Amino acid sequence: MTVLPMSNQTAITGLGWTEFTRSSGTSVSVLVARACLMAIEDAGLGVDDIDGIVSYFHKKNDTQHPRELAEMLGLPACNFHHFHDGGGSWNAAAVLSAAMMVHSGLCKHVLVYNGRNRYSEGRKKRARDAFDTSGAEQFEAPYGSHHAAAGFGQYATAHMAKYGTTTIDFAHLAVTQRKHASLNQKAMMRNPISVEDHQNSRWIIYPYRLLDCCQENDGAVAFVVSAADRAKDLRHNPVYIMGGCCGIEGRDGDAAKTARRVFEGAGVSSSDVDIAGIYDNFTFMAMKHLSDFGLAPENEVGAWIREGNNTLDGSLPVNTHGGLLSEAHFMGLNHVIEVAQQLREGGVVDDLCKGEHTYDRSICRQVRDPEIGFVCGNLSASAVVLRKG
Amino acid sequence: MIEYAKPLPTPDMDTKPYWEGCKAHEMRAQRCTNCGAFRWPPGPLCPHCRSWDSEWVRLEGTGEVASFVIVHYSAVPVFAAEMPYVVATIQLDGTNGAVKLTSNVIDCPPDAVKVGMKVSPVFEDVTPEFTLPKFRPIASV
Repeated sequence: MTVLPMSNQTAITGLGWTEFTRSSGTSVSVLVARACLMAIEDAGLGVDDIDGIVSYFHKKNDTQHPRELAEMLGLPACNFHHFHDGGGSWNAAAVLSAAMMVHSGLCKHVLVYNGRNRYSEGRKKRARDAFDTSGAEQFEAPYGSHHAAAGFGQYATAHMAKYGTTTIDFAHLAVTQRKHASLNQKAMMRNPISVEDHQNSRWIIYPYRLLDCCQENDGAVAFVVSAADRAKDLRHNPVYIMGGCCGIEGRDGDAAKTARRVFEGAGVSSSDVDIAGIYDNFTFMAMKHLSDFGLAPENEVGAWIREGNNTLDGSLPVNTHGGLLSEAHFMGLNHVIEVAQQLREGGVVDDLCKGEHTYDRSICRQVRDPEIGFVCGNLSASAVVLRKG
Repeated sequence: MIEYAKPLPTPDMDTKPYWEGCKAHEMRAQRCTNCGAFRWPPGPLCPHCRSWDSEWVRLEGTGEVASFVIVHYSAVPVFAAEMPYVVATIQLDGTNGAVKLTSNVIDCPPDAVKVGMKVSPVFEDVTPEFTLPKFRPIASV
């Protein structure tokens, strides 16, 4: 495979978000509208410039339909919209979908969003959802396997048995990401934690304790994808979309093949990545995804984490916003926001620095001079490579 | 008799023979009659040779714990009463690794479950219509 024709032809141009809370006190529509309007404003565009919409949900729609958003915002025209059920596996796919819509010429500026009242409304639906036993659920739900940790814990115990990975390794990942979140004004969880705090937190589903699990929250995030030639004239430096893939592991179940397509299509290798947003619904899943893409060694990913390679000044800063574990859970779309912020001139705007970034890790979470960013979704099913423009 | 309060499977045309096997206390798996490959979950055509022809064959039902978790938290009250319990991925013997079932490992303290543990099936007739295959360790623990 050669470099994709769409490589570097589109860019992320505007970023938006709401407050992340456990009780938004408002509707999903309001949350989505706020994040989208901020992203459009941040790009230096007007609402009338938007002519494409992408969003996604997990299994059952709990966000706003693109059709409703187009009506609410009063878009003059929406030439294409895409609304997918891929959940957390689809965050990078959402970026790529917008890029394809722009690169095709169908759309000029595409809005991508995820917003929900997952904590205040979604949690009540859980017990009811456990009784939906059609399709694949007929082989899971009758056995009490309805919590995400029951399914995603399986990957962890298999890896622990094969490579000797331990929950202490998980603890180090949780501690590092919490440290990152402590430097993020919009993060849900900002109080530092220790390895002991992790080990003393209650079991949810072995091998995951409370501090191995992601947040649940209300709020919204959004961004704009534009054509590269238009992006140059907008408010911020473009964050170019170099390439990616939304793969299905297929019969042979080989995530490495997806990884190869991602990096070849972008024209870079995994060692070129300077900053990564790695899907982290549970601590170990981030470790799995890192090794799936060759960003950390599969057999020694635990040691790689313990050595601090994933810290702000490590060999590959990972989830510098705190991730799903400590910032918030927007099915990984917040990872795109963070990596794009890190790749902008001026860097992140919501750490504790006043003015210039100091790289003092008691106030600053800006990574030093990142050029190439990477974001992947759950089960390594989609990934995208980004570049500072 | 106390009414069974947990979720029951919703079989479809592809999966019905599997659940019928369970009701007969037999572990059955779908095998391609053209290339001989087992497949899971059940489906209309072979993902290896794309043949439409398949048969349901009876297995020993024994297998190995490929991975497991221990549930200590549940938002579903009927399961919460039984915590902690084990949800495991069981790789069935004689299927060339193709058939991996999610089920419970029972008759065993949760802390004693290990990856690689050999297990045999226990067919639980949970209602007159449905039987759920669960697994217990072959060796005493």
